Amino acid sequence: MTKELKLMRNIGISAHIDSGKTTLSERILFYCNRIHAIHEVHGKDGVGATMDSMDLERERGITIESAATSVNWKDYEINLIDTPGHVDFTIEVERSLRVLDGAILVLCSVGGVQSQSITVDRQMNRYKVPRIAFINKCDRVGANPYRVVNQLKEKLFLNPVMMEIPIGLEDKLEGVVDLMKMKAIYFDGDNGEILREEEIPASLLSEAQTKHEEMLDKASAFDDELMEKLLEGEDVPNDLVERAIRKGTLSLQLCPVFMGSAHKDKGIQPLLDGVIKYLPDPTEVTNRALDLDNNEAEVILPSDPDAPTVALAFKLEDGQYGQLTYIRVYQGHIHKGDELINTRSRRKFKIGRLVKMHAAEMEDITDAGCGDIAALFGIDCASGDTFCAPSLNYTMSSMYVPTPVISLAIMPKDKKSADNMAKALNRFTKEDPTFQTYVDPESNQTIIKGMGELHLDVYVQRMKREYNAEVEVGMPQVAYREAITQRADFNYTHKKQTGGSGQYARVAGYIEPFTPTEDDEDKEYQFVNEVKGGAIPSEYIPSCDKGFRAAMKKGPQLNFPIVGVRCVINDGAWHPVDSSDLAFQTAAIAAFREAFLKASPAILEPIMKVEVEGPSEFQGAIFGSVNQRRGIIVSSTEDHSNCTIDAEVPLAEMFGYSTVLRSLSQGKAEFTMELDHYAKTPVSVSDELKKEFNEKKKGK
Amino acid sequence: MEVNELIENSPIRVFDESINGGLGKGNIGVLASKHGIGKTACLVHIATDKLFKGEHVVHVSFSGNVEHVLNWYKEVFREISEYKSLDDAFSVYNTMRENRVVMNFSQENVSVDKIINSLTTLIQQGSFQADTVLFDGYHLTKATADDVKKIKAFAQAMNIEVWFSVSPVLTDVQFDQYGVPETMKPYIDLIDVLIGLRYNEEKSKVIMTVVKDHSKSPSHPTGVTLDPRTMLITQ
Repeated sequence: MTKELKLMRNIGISAHIDSGKTTLSERILFYCNRIHAIHEVHGKDGVGATMDSMDLERERGITIESAATSVNWKDYEINLIDTPGHVDFTIEVERSLRVLDGAILVLCSVGGVQSQSITVDRQMNRYKVPRIAFINKCDRVGANPYRVVNQLKEKLFLNPVMMEIPIGLEDKLEGVVDLMKMKAIYFDGDNGEILREEEIPASLLSEAQTKHEEMLDKASAFDDELMEKLLEGEDVPNDLVERAIRKGTLSLQLCPVFMGSAHKDKGIQPLLDGVIKYLPDPTEVTNRALDLDNNEAEVILPSDPDAPTVALAFKLEDGQYGQLTYIRVYQGHIHKGDELINTRSRRKFKIGRLVKMHAAEMEDITDAGCGDIAALFGIDCASGDTFCAPSLNYTMSSMYVPTPVISLAIMPKDKKSADNMAKALNRFTKEDPTFQTYVDPESNQTIIKGMGELHLDVYVQRMKREYNAEVEVGMPQVAYREAITQRADFNYTHKKQTGGSGQYARVAGYIEPFTPTEDDEDKEYQFVNEVKGGAIPSEYIPSCDKGFRAAMKKGPQLNFPIVGVRCVINDGAWHPVDSSDLAFQTAAIAAFREAFLKASPAILEPIMKVEVEGPSEFQGAIFGSVNQRRGIIVSSTEDHSNCTIDAEVPLAEMFGYSTVLRSLSQGKAEFTMELDHYAKTPVSVSDELKKEFNEKKKGK
Repeated sequence: MEVNELIENSPIRVFDESINGGLGKGNIGVLASKHGIGKTACLVHIATDKLFKGEHVVHVSFSGNVEHVLNWYKEVFREISEYKSLDDAFSVYNTMRENRVVMNFSQENVSVDKIINSLTTLIQQGSFQADTVLFDGYHLTKATADDVKKIKAFAQAMNIEVWFSVSPVLTDVQFDQYGVPETMKPYIDLIDVLIGLRYNEEKSKVIMTVVKDHSKSPSHPTGVTLDPRTMLITQ
């Protein structure tokens, strides 16, 4: 069974906190489920129709939380995909944004475009997600949808086109005027489920006429036929206008605006019609994958149900039946019993149970076509993994995982928390490759590593909330690196005579800073053998390599890994009896340490690319805060009342920045950061670090 | 080649000589031409020369695309450092990055007051000791004499060298023989150095003419041209 792709929509609902995302989702599920239930009654056995509202409510409460929910609206299937609230975790955001094809941007009619809407909107722009807007809470005191439309233009640089105007506002909100049909729509019944179409009230007629013209005008830019008809003063059929608006929306040049109040059950059904009319179906979106057999070259995935399968696992959930893996199929289809390959682990697995999450129930299915969202049971995988037909080796996201830059020691408060913590860590590391954990052999503490303070903080919170694991956290630690800045020679003889066979090895050569080229597989280390005339027998050459590698793991300055070194050996000596693999390894380690200290060692620190955004009046304070943190300002962008500042700041200086920023901007500025590169610390800083390190060592 | 040699041998020295040793702090310089002649590259080349000397530069752009401006710097640096095989190019570039800020205004018709306000904020609260400010693509031709006076006052108060690149917004503007638009005449007295850029088909090069030079000599050639391939200033 292959579903008609044209009848499918994968959408996300994104919103600022408190603009009514939950209520809206709930209403959507309710109306869709209604239709679904009626279908059921007429069609099969009446399941779902007899459910009492309490049950429904409860079930809904659960499913609203789930990563993807399928609902049916008219002949269409809509998959609602949960969009994460946090925009700090690039990987998670990337995943959820790539599975959705379009989005509803929910805005509060009072609050308008708030800072978080701006952040989310920017992300969507980056991933080219077409969107329609819904101005919610038109029943609130101070509601002004016209002002919000203006903000869409000025703050988000969208090209909004009003599809409706409100009939009454605040507590007098009665319904909306549909500017396409030029009819007033009222929402009757207990839950607004009955739509009543009437003539536009006389008081709104001229306003509606103006906005209708405006809509036609904006739409005409996207369709020549429409433009011609308008110029010649002919009547234009609605489907022609809809076609033009659809074109504009898909090309991200137009943003249709709907309005109403989810809480008062007004305006939801026209919004759903809008989703169908103006947001793309899976075939209208270009999806890309990387071919691992071809140097990660980009390939376009045609939404072809007959092509070999490519699917992405975008979310894992712990359910009562074990791990539930949400997937989106991009190409081909997934059939129960199929064999697929996880391109990350190279492991083959068989599709066991395949389900679809509906508003009120979980449906077992045997096949999921391309464009579809479904869930798998009992698959061992991590979030973000790509599943392919055995003939392909594609990945949906680059295999490159940035190395964590910050670490934190965590200690469970009691035995029960310790068990739960282990469970939680196991889950989180599967979900997020940038989150890592290990036990420090020296202190026996559990260390978690991640991409920033906030990143780790969210996981600590989740441990408490979802796994009931109370932990104490230590001070965050920056993951430094050690490096050399000039060439230094070594010539080391390792000699030991302890009765029996001794140990003897001599290695000579030099180390120098290593700048990798693109072809170098190992970007941090290179070993070069220039030994001539068998001064070191070839069987012991790998031993030297091994010794150098071992020495690079812990630098003598701060015990952090050493990076960017080329080790060259060009001479040595050996003994037929006393030389061994171990002797050469030991010699290489000692030789490296000797040379390292002569090679003007330096400490490298992670430099973060920081983006601060807020009202222009705080620009100066933000500049100052970057400057105080050894940061450099790369650029600042101002538009109207807002400014964005891009800076590069050492991670070590960014601890606690969110608090500082909040207080200097009255909570109105926000920032995001990600690792940009590693750079040499200034001497004053590295001296301080070394001093601290030595004191700690002495204290032990 | 070391940075010092590179600075000495730069064609910018010839350019500076042609305008009596350079623009100088507290003064306003303008590069005027039609669209698409290569003013941005020219500005970036002037900025890069300053950055080589360890000076601080603010690049004010109105394009809405910071990435675009940063790429210009990258390209110009690559062009110069490869051509002259600069020693230790990586660390030179890093220092340059630290001494440069791109300030972008994506709003249309942003006021002079706002720009000056933001620049002052950066210099004072961001502790950025700017030596030179470049206005890339500012609608100077639409500016009033009053606006230009404000900029001049700012340049003098902050002891900063200010460069403008100017292309007229309107299409029917008359250009004089050096490539300078007529619309600049009302406030030409406030400008210290004015360079006209004009494409010469015979030589297939952009000719740079000194139209005004610290109110000293009458118009004369700069002795440098723009290379049509790299858009850089060449001798």
